[in-house]
Amino acid sequence: MSQKVQTEKVRYNRMGQRIVSPDYLLFEAPRTKHFITGSEAVKEAAKRASVDASISYPITPQSEAAHMLGELWREGYIGVYFRGESEFGVMSAIAGCAMAGARTLTTTSGPGTLRAMENFPMWAGSRLPIQLVLMARGINSPLSIQPDNLEISFLLDTGCMVWHAETAQELFDMIIAGFVVAEQPDVHVPLITAIDGFFISHTREAVYLPPEDIALPPYDPYKAPMPVIDMEVPPGRFMRDPFVMKSNYISYATHASWQFEVRAAIERSRPYAKHYLRGLVEHFGDPEGEILFIASGTAAAQAKEATQILIHEEGIKARVLRIKTLRPFPTEEVREAVKGAKYIFIPEFNVVGWLEREVKRALYGYSDIPIFGTPRVGGGMTMPPEFIVQEVLRIIGKEVKHVS
Amino acid sequence: MSVKIYKINEDLKEFMPQEVIDLEEKATWGNPKRGVMDLPYTKELIEEHSLCAGCPESAAFRYILASLPDPENTIIVNSTGCTSLVFPHIAVHTVHSLFGNQNAVASGIKRVLEWRFPDQVKDVVVLAGDGATIDIGLDCTLQSFFRQEKITTICFDNEVYANTGGQDSGSTPRGMEFKMAPGGKQWDKVPMWQLAIDSGCHYVARLTVSSPKKVEQVIKKAIYVAREVGPTYVHLYTPCVLELGLNSDQGLWEMRERDKERFKFFEYMTPEAEEVIKRKKEEGLL
Amino acid sequence: MSQPVRRRINVRMPAIGGQGAVSAAHIMATAADHAGYYAVSNPFYGAEKRMAPSESYVRIGIEPIYDRGEVVYPDVIMVFHSQVITMGKSYTMPFYSGIKKNGLIIINAEEDLLSDEDKAFLEERNVRIFTFSATKFALEHAGTELATNMAMVGAFFGITQIAGMESIEEGIKARFLKKFVVSGGTASLDSAIERKFKKKLELIEKNVATARAAYEFALAWAKEQGIEPWLPKPEEALQRV
Repeated sequence: MSQKVQTEKVRYNRMGQRIVSPDYLLFEAPRTKHFITGSEAVKEAAKRASVDASISYPITPQSEAAHMLGELWREGYIGVYFRGESEFGVMSAIAGCAMAGARTLTTTSGPGTLRAMENFPMWAGSRLPIQLVLMARGINSPLSIQPDNLEISFLLDTGCMVWHAETAQELFDMIIAGFVVAEQPDVHVPLITAIDGFFISHTREAVYLPPEDIALPPYDPYKAPMPVIDMEVPPGRFMRDPFVMKSNYISYATHASWQFEVRAAIERSRPYAKHYLRGLVEHFGDPEGEILFIASGTAAAQAKEATQILIHEEGIKARVLRIKTLRPFPTEEVREAVKGAKYIFIPEFNVVGWLEREVKRALYGYSDIPIFGTPRVGGGMTMPPEFIVQEVLRIIGKEVKHVS
Repeated sequence: MSVKIYKINEDLKEFMPQEVIDLEEKATWGNPKRGVMDLPYTKELIEEHSLCAGCPESAAFRYILASLPDPENTIIVNSTGCTSLVFPHIAVHTVHSLFGNQNAVASGIKRVLEWRFPDQVKDVVVLAGDGATIDIGLDCTLQSFFRQEKITTICFDNEVYANTGGQDSGSTPRGMEFKMAPGGKQWDKVPMWQLAIDSGCHYVARLTVSSPKKVEQVIKKAIYVAREVGPTYVHLYTPCVLELGLNSDQGLWEMRERDKERFKFFEYMTPEAEEVIKRKKEEGLL
Repeated sequence: MSQPVRRRINVRMPAIGGQGAVSAAHIMATAADHAGYYAVSNPFYGAEKRMAPSESYVRIGIEPIYDRGEVVYPDVIMVFHSQVITMGKSYTMPFYSGIKKNGLIIINAEEDLLSDEDKAFLEERNVRIFTFSATKFALEHAGTELATNMAMVGAFFGITQIAGMESIEEGIKARFLKKFVVSGGTASLDSAIERKFKKKLELIEKNVATARAAYEFALAWAKEQGIEPWLPKPEEALQRV
């Protein structure tokens, strides 16, 4: 590609960053502490990820991150950037960028996600390894800009991979790992990296960053399973045509087998995701905990605080199984982790309980431990750890000691 | 792209269909002076079509594909509708994304190709029907013009949503009766060519497909101007013989009638566009 | 009045838009982080509008902090503008809902804004109240009301004694020197401030001076009240999880 210069075995990209292996960037490079917000973490990740194209549209709370991707473009780190006309237009244009061979990154939230919705299964079916950073927020009506993550449930069946970050640190690392996993030739489907809106985007916390003069290897579109649309390779004849035009029989056979193939691709991402994320789940708390929280994103963070209150102030053994990837879902890890638990609690920042549905599906026939889909908060309100503890104690029939 | 990509492996040549061999040996690659006059003698970049017999869109496709100055470096972005029936039969890269987002997808493609291949010509051409361009895609279409994307937009106007069984579109003239306008359409035909001018297109043309030579001229101008100046728009009348109740061989007559009235030839260009066209004429390319 | 051994301080700062409460939270957290503690700060606001209620939070501790979102049970409440109390421009009513025993309330006001009922409730919970005119400190040391938040930051650290002026100065510098993204509305306000001060360094200097004056003033009060540092030093803290 025109952007690389070869100097012996060391390669540099057009910004003069030294190209390093993903393992080096994620696990070996020395890190320094920075005190930044989640939005800034997105910028720092994109800066080290050799991103080619990004397109933005304003909506709270992802606009700040989007502005900063624009700054990266002005500084020369990102090749193509503009503000689109709506999330629908943006996500369509992003598809065009990916089809033409770019590593692409974009962001959206809540109503914007739904505005763009038609594009997500299109991305998956076209096998475009686009990364969407989703900063969850309430969906109308009524209107809430706070971190309600009900929108994630709409995305679970689009054929995209879906990961859920807990902190700004994890968001940084997931964005970088995300490109590596999504672009594997045997995977090559879109990735949605979700965070619970304001809880991460506008919160300032310590994040450890590798140096900024190193970067991921650039995307190689000629390794894609579908030909890139740049007239440098012969044109492919699939999924860019509507098959119904040839025959209904061809149409449904292709459609069905293609849908299975996309989901198989998500399954094939498992070993890569395990490697680059250091596991699809995280264990926290007392390994002998009889109270088990299964949660993802900020709900897991709150559960961790609740776990500490239960252990240190109520004398009850508790632990958290934090789920990092929703698609692929860590079914085996969940089945393994519930052993020894007496109660399972699934706190969520949405009223429908989509994570409870996922967990119950995984555990059906494997465990008869009672599962409680609580607490659930809607509208993006805070879930104080004290509140979680009160719910737990109420259900297991114990008296509350720690909060007056 | 090098046309060598289309080179058939010598050892397998005996098994290849004749049309594929012809594509390598008899098509007019690498010659910007190609045009509709080559049609009887060379391999076309379209192999049959699955449209209705006598559909003027099929004629339009043949003229356009014969006129692309640089087909080995052209990408056509399409949308859902009758036009998408033809795309599987075309020998250049095509993209069929969603309904109405063709100009957004084209914007992304063009910008990335310009960035990845700064020293090469890569023409991005949108080809979509009136429903896709004027109704569901109006937002994305006009916004690509506002942003001055260097793409050519071609609208195949049959004044109806034909592929879904014949519903009126924004492009249907007032009074014409179609399935969702019983009693006739209650409002006027949208002058999309005027909207294109007001939205920033540098070259705009409106015509029927009755004259192949005229179509060739317009397409070439539109693409050359888009390469250097900004967005261009070509509005073609390709009447639907089925929905109009015409015989298969009456398409040409229908177009010649409209040449005299609402699809009278119309052309607009900015001074910058005019300069490009003048230069191309001097180079013998127009 | 004995002081509990703390592992964490949760701060809630109800304010009005345009007062700099969001920046103050970030400065406090940055300062605490510089001093070696775990710290997290976050804002909470609706429309980015002047004089609309906004709230920001800081959590500082001796071990990793997982808690997110609003501080429902604060140890410290910092009221930046009297309208929070007098006009009820607060997300909680009364503004001190949830305050923990042995807590602290810092109020920027010229006069006493609390009712007898308020005071009785707070005294019963052993909550100390520090009312002072942060605005006066800002006008005196920076020449502008916009530096009120700096005085509030100084007062917080003066009373809790968990970080010194060196860390506070780091926090203020980080806010104005690095490309510090708070919010779109704040970014626009920044250019208004920059027009007032020709050089950024002059701005920082004035802000640090304001914070220092309030810090020393509050520290003197704390010593007088027999208040000890609110957290063990980071080096002395023992991890329990």
